[in-house]
Amino acid sequence: MTTSVLPSPPAAPSAPPPATAPQAGPPARPDPPRRLRLRTVPGRIRAWTAAAVVALLALFGLATMAISDARAGLDVLGEHGAGRQVVTTANLYYALSDMDTQVANLLLIGGERLGGVREEAEKRYEQSRAQASEALLQAARLADDETERETVRSLLTKLGEYERLAERARQLNEQDGHTAGRPENPEVLRQYREATELMRLELLPQAYNATLDSGVLVRRTYEEQHAAVQTGRLAVAAAGLATLVALVGLQVYLAHRFRRILNPALLAATVVVTVLVGLVMGLLDREAANLRTAKQDGFDSVLALKRAQAISNSLHGDQSRYLLDPDAADTYEQVYLDKSQRVLHTDAGNLKKYYASLRTVRREYPGKVTFLGLLGDEANNARTKTHRDALAETLRRYEAFQQTDERLRRMNPSNQSNQSNQPQVNQTADPSQVTQSQTGRPRPDLSQVVRFRMADVAKAFDEYDKSLMGLADSHERTLRAAIKNGEDALGGWDYRLPAAILAAAVLIFVGVRPRLQEYR
Amino acid sequence: MRARIALVGLIVLAVAAAGCGAGGDTPSILDKDELVIGVKPDQPGLGLKKRNGVYEGFDVDVAKEVVKRLPGQRRRVRFVDAPSSERERLLRERKVDLVVASYSITPKRKTMVGFAGPYYVAHQDILVRQNVTGITNVRDLRGRVLCNVEGSNSVARVVEELEIAANLVPAASYSECIEKLKTGSVEAVSTDDLILAGFAAAEAGRFKFVNRPFTDERYGIGIHQDDIDGCEAVNKAITQMYQEGTAKTLLDRWFGKTDLSYTTTVPEFEGCG
Repeated sequence: MTTSVLPSPPAAPSAPPPATAPQAGPPARPDPPRRLRLRTVPGRIRAWTAAAVVALLALFGLATMAISDARAGLDVLGEHGAGRQVVTTANLYYALSDMDTQVANLLLIGGERLGGVREEAEKRYEQSRAQASEALLQAARLADDETERETVRSLLTKLGEYERLAERARQLNEQDGHTAGRPENPEVLRQYREATELMRLELLPQAYNATLDSGVLVRRTYEEQHAAVQTGRLAVAAAGLATLVALVGLQVYLAHRFRRILNPALLAATVVVTVLVGLVMGLLDREAANLRTAKQDGFDSVLALKRAQAISNSLHGDQSRYLLDPDAADTYEQVYLDKSQRVLHTDAGNLKKYYASLRTVRREYPGKVTFLGLLGDEANNARTKTHRDALAETLRRYEAFQQTDERLRRMNPSNQSNQSNQPQVNQTADPSQVTQSQTGRPRPDLSQVVRFRMADVAKAFDEYDKSLMGLADSHERTLRAAIKNGEDALGGWDYRLPAAILAAAVLIFVGVRPRLQEYR
Repeated sequence: MRARIALVGLIVLAVAAAGCGAGGDTPSILDKDELVIGVKPDQPGLGLKKRNGVYEGFDVDVAKEVVKRLPGQRRRVRFVDAPSSERERLLRERKVDLVVASYSITPKRKTMVGFAGPYYVAHQDILVRQNVTGITNVRDLRGRVLCNVEGSNSVARVVEELEIAANLVPAASYSECIEKLKTGSVEAVSTDDLILAGFAAAEAGRFKFVNRPFTDERYGIGIHQDDIDGCEAVNKAITQMYQEGTAKTLLDRWFGKTDLSYTTTVPEFEGCG
């Protein structure tokens, strides 16, 4: 843009700005029009004025761009943006794993009602199925390339397949009509194994990956807009400075040429530009901070906690599967531990040590954070007291839930790892249902364990789940507040910015015109 | 004159600053023409350096297929040894770009390096001689002779975590365990199924799997922690590898001769960043 710079006159008191150079034309041209000639006084005034106006327009353009970048960033994370949809797709994993959990529960409950527990499980299965469809729809909307669309397509097909298998297992189970415990017809379990395998190996991984895919979109947009707001801020500063230099230059030139101390209109324009640049920079600074808060303290945590919630729900289901399928009980126990470790990781190598380590974790928090995993990430993210308190509550509930798991596994009559060393179970049990274990101590039978799973364990889990949701909600509020602050701060700039720019332009014109008229 | 220079400078700066906002400053594997990939040199079926210096195995093929699918230019691939104890250091110091070396994703490692994938979820399983009966799950190892590799925690998982009283016979490596299994001085070897399958594939028909997996070992692709774009691109490449059936082809090629039942659908990713 400054390719044809004129050689400046050696004695010029202040050099003509290059921004006007294109208008000046090549120097070789003989006798250029008078008003463009830079060696004359009006020519120089025009050149300085043009520089000031060009810089002012650049300032306008750059500020508009930076403000619209900030708005785009807020929109992505806001109520109607992709960020919201990502959170919805995060529900997909939860809904799918909940379907499988409810099927396992129904198979364990058998023909009994258990005081409404069966109806509840049936209802939840339907709800989760509806939620999964809704989340899949969102995932389809967010899929932005062929690979992601293929993932969604595959999920749709496999979900249909899963429903057929689960339906079949449930029908057989209903015909079976067994009491709480394992179904008597081995075909029920065979069907369910096929269904849960499909869920575990194909549906859940792809559902999780679909959420990650749509999260990528939000992360990229956020990073682009956040960076754009920050560079926009620098650009506004540079353009503002350029405008001020041109205005001061014009002022100095006029003072020098016309022996006047100050041009009030130009001074006013200078003040307007200075205040404007200051305000816009402050605004962009705040917007960058709001975006960062919304993303890091809000969105990232909400998403991570949704994942923790989904994985937790799936490990809760593994408790049922552990009871339902004795042949695979070791695998389900190990999978349960693996998933628990993904939610909250400690150095414990087996469940017994894991339960014990949770006690330490809960006691030490928030003084010391020795755990990793999704809740460990959250511990590092939780910066405010509200978030830390909510996390402390979640850790308490998580430990309480894991304690019920410990009891559940001790009670399980087919638990092979503690054939000996069987602790007394504090269950107010119907004596007729208590069988003698190999060690001669009373051991509850499976139907009691199932009852315990559906009552005490489920209750402890719900409380933990609620506290996790509360934690996610507190980050959700942080997210909303940051978006609202950001949007409120932007409000009014749509007219404030052009008005200020227009005012400055008018003031420049008013300041310069009388001087030019002296040369008419 | 000075004012003019200042003005030119400012305007150029303003335009330049506005123009190049989006460019990131963290180095990514996506910007490179040649990728250095750390693999195991001594794990048959996964990563094995042959006498002529060429690497082969499932991990090696996965690495090639992933790089082929990364967006942008075609990239050359160079393989180097990545011993287990060195993997984090190599990645952190950017001595290697990726590590594909039966490298399990763990929360502790994640504090040091990034992980794309897993590209495969291996499971701890048990390998026995073809003619052995009576071992159908891990509990049946009670009272059996189990090979114990020093420094490996696979046996600890059976004996300590699952509290199964097996008789342990020490060995220096899993290849020694396989020799012992062949000669009959141990009855079972238990570790990651892909590692066992790598050995078993070379001796087709001699061994069999119990096929009762009892842990998840999520084999990830190690990458520098800051390279989130690279990590996401690797994940996409892994997804495509499974969608196109290439992953199945590779699993068949390296482990198809064994009776291991492996999964041919895309694993649940860890997520980048």
